[in-house]
Amino acid sequence: MNPSVSQPCPGGCATCSEYNGCVTCKPRFFFFLERIGIRQTGVCLTSCPSGYYGKRFPEPNACTKCKADCEACFNNNFCTKCKNGFYLHLGKCLENCPEWLEPNNYTMECNDIVH
Amino acid sequence: LAQKAIIRVIPFKLEPLMLEGVFASVADVTPAEGKLLQFHPLSLCNTSEDEHTIPGFVSIVKLERPERDLHPCLSLANKAKLAGERGARAVLFDITDDQGAADQLKKPRGLSHPVVLIWGHDAELLMGVVNNNREAHVKIEVKEMPAWPDYDVWI
Repeated sequence: MNPSVSQPCPGGCATCSEYNGCVTCKPRFFFFLERIGIRQTGVCLTSCPSGYYGKRFPEPNACTKCKADCEACFNNNFCTKCKNGFYLHLGKCLENCPEWLEPNNYTMECNDIVH
Repeated sequence: LAQKAIIRVIPFKLEPLMLEGVFASVADVTPAEGKLLQFHPLSLCNTSEDEHTIPGFVSIVKLERPERDLHPCLSLANKAKLAGERGARAVLFDITDDQGAADQLKKPRGLSHPVVLIWGHDAELLMGVVNNNREAHVKIEVKEMPAWPDYDVWI
Protein backbone atom coordinates (compact mmCIF):
# COMPACT_ATOMS: atom_id res chain seq x y z
CA MET A 1 0.00 0.00 0.00
CA ASN A 2 1.39 3.41 -0.84
CA PRO A 3 0.70 5.92 1.89
CA SER A 4 0.28 8.78 -0.51
CA VAL A 5 -2.12 6.96 -2.80
CA SER A 6 -5.25 5.80 -1.02
CA GLN A 7 -5.28 2.04 -1.31
CA PRO A 8 -8.26 -0.06 -0.29
CA CYS A 9 -8.00 -1.04 3.36
CA PRO A 10 -8.23 -4.66 4.39
CA GLY A 11 -11.64 -6.01 5.45
CA GLY A 12 -13.10 -4.35 8.51
CA CYS A 13 -10.75 -1.36 8.45
CA ALA A 14 -12.23 2.09 8.19
CA THR A 15 -8.83 3.79 7.84
CA CYS A 16 -5.42 2.24 7.39
CA SER A 17 -1.86 3.05 6.38
CA GLU A 18 1.06 1.14 4.93
CA TYR A 19 3.16 0.86 8.04
CA ASN A 20 0.54 0.76 10.81
CA GLY A 21 -2.11 -1.33 9.04
CA CYS A 22 -5.58 -0.55 10.38
CA VAL A 23 -5.93 2.66 12.34
CA THR A 24 -9.71 2.65 12.84
CA CYS A 25 -12.27 -0.13 12.35
CA LYS A 26 -15.73 -0.19 10.82
CA PRO A 27 -18.65 -0.51 13.23
CA ARG A 28 -19.03 -3.88 14.98
CA PHE A 29 -15.40 -4.86 14.29
CA PHE A 30 -12.85 -5.22 17.06
CA PHE A 31 -9.47 -3.50 16.81
CA PHE A 32 -6.55 -5.83 17.55
CA LEU A 33 -2.81 -5.14 17.65
CA GLU A 34 -0.98 -7.99 15.96
CA ARG A 35 2.77 -8.46 16.35
CA ILE A 36 4.69 -10.46 13.77
CA GLY A 37 8.44 -10.23 14.24
CA ILE A 38 9.46 -6.63 14.75
CA ARG A 39 6.26 -5.33 13.14
CA GLN A 40 3.13 -4.42 15.02
CA THR A 41 0.08 -3.61 12.93
CA GLY A 42 -3.57 -2.98 13.59
CA VAL A 43 -6.19 -5.45 12.30
CA CYS A 44 -9.99 -5.40 12.53
CA LEU A 45 -11.68 -8.65 13.48
CA THR A 46 -15.24 -9.85 13.86
CA SER A 47 -14.14 -11.89 16.87
CA CYS A 48 -11.05 -11.81 19.02
CA PRO A 49 -8.35 -14.48 19.18
CA SER A 50 -8.11 -16.89 22.12
CA GLY A 51 -6.80 -15.18 25.21
CA TYR A 52 -8.74 -12.02 24.35
CA TYR A 53 -12.35 -10.89 24.52
CA GLY A 54 -14.19 -8.24 22.54
CA LYS A 55 -14.78 -5.12 24.59
CA ARG A 56 -17.42 -2.78 23.15
CA PHE A 57 -17.41 0.03 25.69
CA PRO A 58 -15.90 2.51 25.86
CA GLU A 59 -15.10 3.13 22.21
CA PRO A 60 -13.24 2.00 20.28
CA ASN A 61 -14.25 -1.64 20.23
CA ALA A 62 -11.06 -3.50 20.96
CA CYS A 63 -9.78 -6.98 21.70
CA THR A 64 -8.73 -6.96 25.33
CA LYS A 65 -6.62 -9.53 27.13
CA CYS A 66 -8.25 -11.99 29.54
CA LYS A 67 -7.05 -11.95 33.12
CA ALA A 68 -3.55 -13.26 33.81
CA ASP A 69 -4.73 -16.64 35.12
CA CYS A 70 -7.19 -17.18 32.30
CA GLU A 71 -6.46 -18.69 28.89
CA ALA A 72 -9.78 -18.05 27.20
CA CYS A 73 -12.61 -15.85 28.38
CA PHE A 74 -16.01 -14.54 27.52
CA ASN A 75 -15.31 -11.23 29.18
CA ASN A 76 -13.08 -9.84 31.91
CA ASN A 77 -15.09 -11.53 34.62
CA PHE A 78 -15.98 -14.86 33.03
CA CYS A 79 -13.20 -17.26 32.15
CA THR A 80 -13.96 -20.32 30.04
CA LYS A 81 -10.54 -22.00 30.28
CA CYS A 82 -7.94 -21.42 32.99
CA LYS A 83 -4.20 -21.52 32.63
CA ASN A 84 -2.24 -24.51 33.91
CA GLY A 85 -2.40 -24.96 37.66
CA PHE A 86 -5.79 -23.25 38.11
CA TYR A 87 -9.23 -24.78 38.60
CA LEU A 88 -12.23 -23.31 36.81
CA HIS A 89 -15.28 -22.61 38.98
CA LEU A 90 -18.19 -20.42 37.96
CA GLY A 91 -16.06 -18.49 35.47
CA LYS A 92 -13.29 -17.89 37.97
CA CYS A 93 -9.80 -19.42 38.11
CA LEU A 94 -8.86 -20.72 41.54
CA GLU A 95 -5.58 -22.14 42.83
CA ASN A 96 -7.60 -24.43 45.10
CA CYS A 97 -11.22 -25.52 45.06
CA PRO A 98 -13.50 -24.44 47.89
CA GLU A 99 -13.66 -27.07 50.66
CA TRP A 100 -17.27 -28.07 49.77
CA LEU A 101 -16.17 -28.97 46.25
CA GLU A 102 -13.88 -31.62 44.84
CA PRO A 103 -11.02 -30.78 42.43
CA ASN A 104 -11.10 -32.72 39.17
CA ASN A 105 -7.51 -32.90 38.01
CA TYR A 106 -8.59 -34.19 34.60
CA THR A 107 -10.94 -31.39 33.63
CA MET A 108 -9.29 -28.94 36.04
CA GLU A 109 -12.69 -27.96 37.41
CA CYS A 110 -14.23 -27.97 40.86
CA ASN A 111 -17.05 -30.54 41.10
CA ASP A 112 -19.72 -31.30 43.67
CA ILE A 113 -18.62 -33.95 46.16
CA VAL A 114 -20.40 -37.25 45.37
CA HIS A 115 -21.36 -39.14 48.57
CA LEU B 1 19.32 24.55 17.97
CA ALA B 2 18.06 21.01 18.43
CA GLN B 3 20.71 18.38 19.04
CA LYS B 4 21.18 16.06 16.10
CA ALA B 5 21.22 12.30 16.51
CA ILE B 6 23.01 9.68 14.46
CA ILE B 7 20.92 6.53 14.15
CA ARG B 8 22.84 3.44 13.10
CA VAL B 9 20.53 0.65 11.99
CA ILE B 10 22.27 -2.71 11.73
CA PRO B 11 19.90 -5.21 10.10
CA PHE B 12 20.70 -8.91 10.50
CA LYS B 13 22.90 -9.98 7.54
CA LEU B 14 22.42 -6.68 5.69
CA GLU B 15 24.39 -3.50 5.18
CA PRO B 16 24.07 -1.06 8.08
CA LEU B 17 22.29 2.23 7.57
CA MET B 18 23.44 5.53 9.02
CA LEU B 19 20.53 7.89 9.42
CA GLU B 20 20.00 11.22 11.09
CA GLY B 21 17.35 12.57 13.40
CA VAL B 22 16.88 15.13 16.11
CA PHE B 23 16.69 14.63 19.86
CA ALA B 24 13.42 15.91 21.29
CA SER B 25 13.91 17.99 24.41
CA VAL B 26 11.12 16.14 26.21
CA ALA B 27 13.83 13.67 27.14
CA ASP B 28 17.52 13.58 27.97
CA VAL B 29 20.02 13.84 25.12
CA THR B 30 21.85 10.59 25.64
CA PRO B 31 23.02 7.63 23.55
CA ALA B 32 21.06 4.38 23.60
CA GLU B 33 20.85 1.11 21.74
CA GLY B 34 18.70 -1.97 21.46
CA LYS B 35 16.68 -4.22 19.19
CA LEU B 36 14.40 -2.35 16.78
CA LEU B 37 10.70 -2.95 17.51
CA GLN B 38 7.74 -1.24 15.81
CA PHE B 39 4.80 -0.04 17.87
CA HIS B 40 1.43 0.98 16.46
CA PRO B 41 0.49 4.50 17.65
CA LEU B 42 -2.59 3.03 19.37
CA SER B 43 -0.50 0.54 21.31
CA LEU B 44 0.83 3.39 23.45
CA CYS B 45 -2.42 3.99 25.33
CA ASN B 46 -3.22 3.23 28.96
CA THR B 47 -6.10 1.07 27.80
CA SER B 48 -3.95 -0.96 25.44
CA GLU B 49 -2.34 -4.18 26.50
CA ASP B 50 1.20 -4.21 27.66
CA GLU B 51 2.72 -6.88 25.47
CA HIS B 52 5.27 -7.98 28.07
CA THR B 53 8.01 -7.52 25.47
CA ILE B 54 11.50 -8.18 26.74
CA PRO B 55 12.87 -4.83 27.95
CA GLY B 56 15.83 -3.31 26.14
CA PHE B 57 14.35 -2.54 22.71
CA VAL B 58 14.23 0.67 20.69
CA SER B 59 10.69 1.58 19.70
CA ILE B 60 9.83 3.01 16.31
CA VAL B 61 6.41 4.61 16.02
CA LYS B 62 5.17 5.87 12.69
CA LEU B 63 2.79 8.73 13.48
CA GLU B 64 -0.37 9.02 11.42
CA ARG B 65 -1.68 12.27 9.93
CA PRO B 66 -3.34 14.23 12.78
CA GLU B 67 -6.77 14.12 11.12
CA ARG B 68 -6.69 10.33 11.39
CA ASP B 69 -6.39 10.35 15.17
CA LEU B 70 -8.68 13.16 16.25
CA HIS B 71 -8.99 11.96 19.85
CA PRO B 72 -5.54 10.71 20.79
CA CYS B 73 -5.61 8.55 23.93
CA LEU B 74 -2.47 10.24 25.31
CA SER B 75 -0.25 13.18 24.41
CA LEU B 76 2.92 12.27 22.53
CA ALA B 77 4.98 13.13 25.60
CA ASN B 78 2.97 10.66 27.66
CA LYS B 79 3.18 8.06 24.90
CA ALA B 80 6.97 8.43 24.97
CA LYS B 81 6.89 8.11 28.75
CA LEU B 82 4.68 4.99 28.57
CA ALA B 83 7.01 3.38 26.03
CA GLY B 84 9.87 3.80 28.49
CA GLU B 85 7.80 2.31 31.29
CA ARG B 86 7.15 -0.70 29.05
CA GLY B 87 10.85 -1.35 28.52
CA ALA B 88 11.94 0.88 25.64
CA ARG B 89 15.51 2.17 25.88
CA ALA B 90 14.71 4.85 23.31
CA VAL B 91 11.74 5.97 21.25
CA LEU B 92 11.96 6.95 17.59
CA PHE B 93 9.01 8.89 16.21
CA ASP B 94 8.61 9.05 12.43
CA ILE B 95 6.97 12.47 12.10
CA THR B 96 6.89 12.58 8.31
CA ASP B 97 3.08 12.73 8.32
CA ASP B 98 2.76 14.78 11.51
CA GLN B 99 5.34 17.56 11.57
CA GLY B 100 3.43 19.25 14.38
CA ALA B 101 4.49 16.41 16.64
CA ALA B 102 7.83 18.13 17.18
CA ASP B 103 6.09 20.93 19.06
CA GLN B 104 4.39 18.44 21.37
CA LEU B 105 7.78 17.04 22.34
CA LYS B 106 9.61 20.33 22.97
CA LYS B 107 8.73 20.84 26.60
CA PRO B 108 11.35 19.18 28.84
CA ARG B 109 9.92 16.35 30.94
CA GLY B 110 13.22 14.79 31.97
CA LEU B 111 12.46 11.40 30.47
CA SER B 112 15.59 9.31 31.00
CA HIS B 113 15.32 7.39 27.71
CA PRO B 114 16.02 9.50 24.63
CA VAL B 115 13.26 10.46 22.20
CA VAL B 116 14.42 11.02 18.62
CA LEU B 117 12.41 12.49 15.75
CA ILE B 118 13.04 11.27 12.24
CA TRP B 119 11.34 12.23 8.97
CA GLY B 120 11.64 12.28 5.20
CA HIS B 121 14.12 10.03 3.39
CA ASP B 122 15.84 8.86 6.57
CA ALA B 123 12.49 7.79 7.99
CA GLU B 124 11.61 6.06 4.73
CA LEU B 125 14.79 3.99 4.91
CA LEU B 126 14.12 3.06 8.52
CA MET B 127 10.52 2.10 7.86
CA GLY B 128 11.74 0.05 4.93
CA VAL B 129 13.62 -2.14 7.40
CA VAL B 130 10.47 -2.40 9.51
CA ASN B 131 8.24 -3.12 6.54
CA ASN B 132 10.49 -5.98 5.50
CA ASN B 133 10.30 -7.26 9.07
CA ARG B 134 14.08 -7.43 9.32
CA GLU B 135 15.48 -7.93 12.78
CA ALA B 136 17.85 -5.06 13.42
CA HIS B 137 19.93 -3.53 16.15
CA VAL B 138 19.80 0.24 16.57
CA LYS B 139 22.47 2.52 18.00
CA ILE B 140 21.57 6.13 18.75
CA GLU B 141 24.50 8.48 19.14
CA VAL B 142 24.80 12.19 19.88
CA LYS B 143 26.13 13.94 16.78
CA GLU B 144 29.02 16.20 17.70
CA MET B 145 28.21 19.83 17.01
CA PRO B 146 30.93 21.50 14.84
CA ALA B 147 33.28 23.68 16.99
CA TRP B 148 32.79 26.55 14.55
CA PRO B 149 29.46 26.90 12.81
CA ASP B 150 30.23 26.14 9.17
CA TYR B 151 29.95 29.49 7.54
CA ASP B 152 32.52 31.23 5.35
CA VAL B 153 34.86 33.56 7.18
CA TRP B 154 36.57 36.15 4.90
CA ILE B 155 39.79 37.75 6.15
